[in-house]
Amino acid sequence: MAILGVDQHEVGAIAVSRALRDAGMEVIYAGRFNLPTTIVKTALEEDVDIIGLSCHSWEFLYYVDELLDLLSNAEGHIPVIAGGSIITPGDEKKLIEKGVAAVFCADASMDDIVDAVRRIVTNSV
Amino acid sequence: MKKIPAEEEAMDEQHTHSGIPLKPVYTTDDIQPFDYHQKLNDPGTFPYTRGIRADLHKRRIWIQRELSGEGGPQKSNEQLQYLIERGQLGIDVIGDGPTNSLLDPDHPLAKNAIGTQGVSLCCLQDFRELYRDLPIDKLPVSNSLAAFFAIAALYLVARERDIPPETLRGSLVQAPFFAEDCGYSTHLPFKLRLRLTADSISFCTKEMPKFHSFLEDTYFIREAGLTAVEEMAFGFIEIRYVVRELLKRGLHIDSFGPRIAILVDCGMDLFEEIAKIRATRRIFARMMKDEFGSTDPRTQAVIIASHTSGLSMTAQQPFNNIVRGSIQTLALILAEVQAVEISAFDEAFRIPSKESHLIGLRTQQVIHCESNVSKVIDPLGGSYYIERLTDEMEKKIVDLILDIESQGDPAELSDRGWFKGFFENAMERSARDIRDRKILKVGVNIFEMPQEEDTLLKDIAEEKIEPSWYRIGEIQEYKKSRDQEALRNVLKEIYTLTRETDENLMYPIIGAIEAGATMGEIAGVMRLAYDHHYDPFGMIESPL
Repeated sequence: MAILGVDQHEVGAIAVSRALRDAGMEVIYAGRFNLPTTIVKTALEEDVDIIGLSCHSWEFLYYVDELLDLLSNAEGHIPVIAGGSIITPGDEKKLIEKGVAAVFCADASMDDIVDAVRRIVTNSV
Repeated sequence: MKKIPAEEEAMDEQHTHSGIPLKPVYTTDDIQPFDYHQKLNDPGTFPYTRGIRADLHKRRIWIQRELSGEGGPQKSNEQLQYLIERGQLGIDVIGDGPTNSLLDPDHPLAKNAIGTQGVSLCCLQDFRELYRDLPIDKLPVSNSLAAFFAIAALYLVARERDIPPETLRGSLVQAPFFAEDCGYSTHLPFKLRLRLTADSISFCTKEMPKFHSFLEDTYFIREAGLTAVEEMAFGFIEIRYVVRELLKRGLHIDSFGPRIAILVDCGMDLFEEIAKIRATRRIFARMMKDEFGSTDPRTQAVIIASHTSGLSMTAQQPFNNIVRGSIQTLALILAEVQAVEISAFDEAFRIPSKESHLIGLRTQQVIHCESNVSKVIDPLGGSYYIERLTDEMEKKIVDLILDIESQGDPAELSDRGWFKGFFENAMERSARDIRDRKILKVGVNIFEMPQEEDTLLKDIAEEKIEPSWYRIGEIQEYKKSRDQEALRNVLKEIYTLTRETDENLMYPIIGAIEAGATMGEIAGVMRLAYDHHYDPFGMIESPL
């Protein structure tokens, strides 16, 4: 679970991380102040199954291409999901087109997110 | 037909949002024993429960302002001009993510956040542009920016414009404790944050005596998901710590006490928020007088401003947020606050659009001009419910302060991550309360609407602001254009004074800003002086 750039809002990232943990998953919490390079490095070192981006600033719009590029050049396939109340249906469409595996807008429930993570990870293994 | 939850839950026990149990009706029995002079007293009289002004003529109308800042300093100046022309009564500016993290716009991590969540500021020229032609001598200037930097820059701009700094009014947030954990991280060590807080307050006591240099911001504390009780207890922990630090320096409580103000949050539980503010004034007055030995009524009567809750604003059905802002503002006026800024209806998506700024300002003006609610001071005073709730809030806030302080020195608790843990639990609890419908949010967990129908005002709310990338080149050019030798000297001086002396750092910081140093550079050399990395992210080199 990571937050990009200088986006400092952490409420959503922590709440979702804990829900995933409570659902029996191991969460590597990378927290704030990440660039795509640091996220990919951590993801590879920790051998994660999926990367979650928590977004409460528009920085994701500009970093997501770089993140997906870096991942496509890395070994294996690590799907990326993104969530946050500022993500609009228009943003969601663009992110899915770029190759983000799932996007959660303001109306997503915690169960939606947990189910999607389980489904995406199961399908990609 | 959808069941209205009020009916659904009518048989359950009811609580305030802080969890205080509620009775269906309150009577005189609920406020006994009741000693008017001890608990309330008249407005303008100790313990100031009913407000700090004695009568309507002495009471100024509250400062109506909207938090501003977008893009570079010129664009933000236009925003401020627009609001002042439409009747705004104060100047209120917030920095963007990089600025509030003490990163210059040319820092690699800043790139995609420049000017998108506030204004990008890093040097004196930026502040000249920000305040250009604004009546900073007439309107109070309040900023959510790093205090040492914003005070120094305001002082310099005022002097350049022949405005005596001692006449400046306004306020600056001091947040040495909690900002790292739940607001903007500056990556300054705690001891340095505390020193800069004490230095800037001491500086203003001498040089800008009308300026509220110690604004305790409980807004962002609350926004981490805390309750109203926890918000105020945490705020008082910080106030008490900083007051003790200033007393240790030999200052008398009444030399800086009148310059303490509190910026509170305001959520949706109308009566609880009113009771919170009334209880806060009473706690503050008694604390200053009985514990810290104040004899000056101006110290004991604390000014309270408020920013209405951004967390209460929803992305779903954003038009509902206009109603929320109105209810919260009404609560604040009934609670006798001195300044209000409303979280904009598009808060969940973006920093305020021009339209939402205007709606916020007009909401305040409608309440002021049309509703007659501000014609009588503390109109709810004496209500069985309000007085009982004020007593309960007071007790719960004081108990929590004592409980936290009994667990150890707050600075050590902060070091151990105690507060961070508390914030993390609160963040999770806040999300869970909405999921479990313990807190109802129209459009979120009740009376939802399919996304395709939820279109009203969405076009404004969803409009994007592109990062002000032009600032990167601009600041890089600016940095090259300076006299490098002179710059190194002033930065070296700050480093040495920070490391080897306990002198007030505001004077060398002002000197450095005047000589062209940027905020990021000054913060970096101060970090070095405390044996921390110049750049917390290891991405840029120290100029020393």
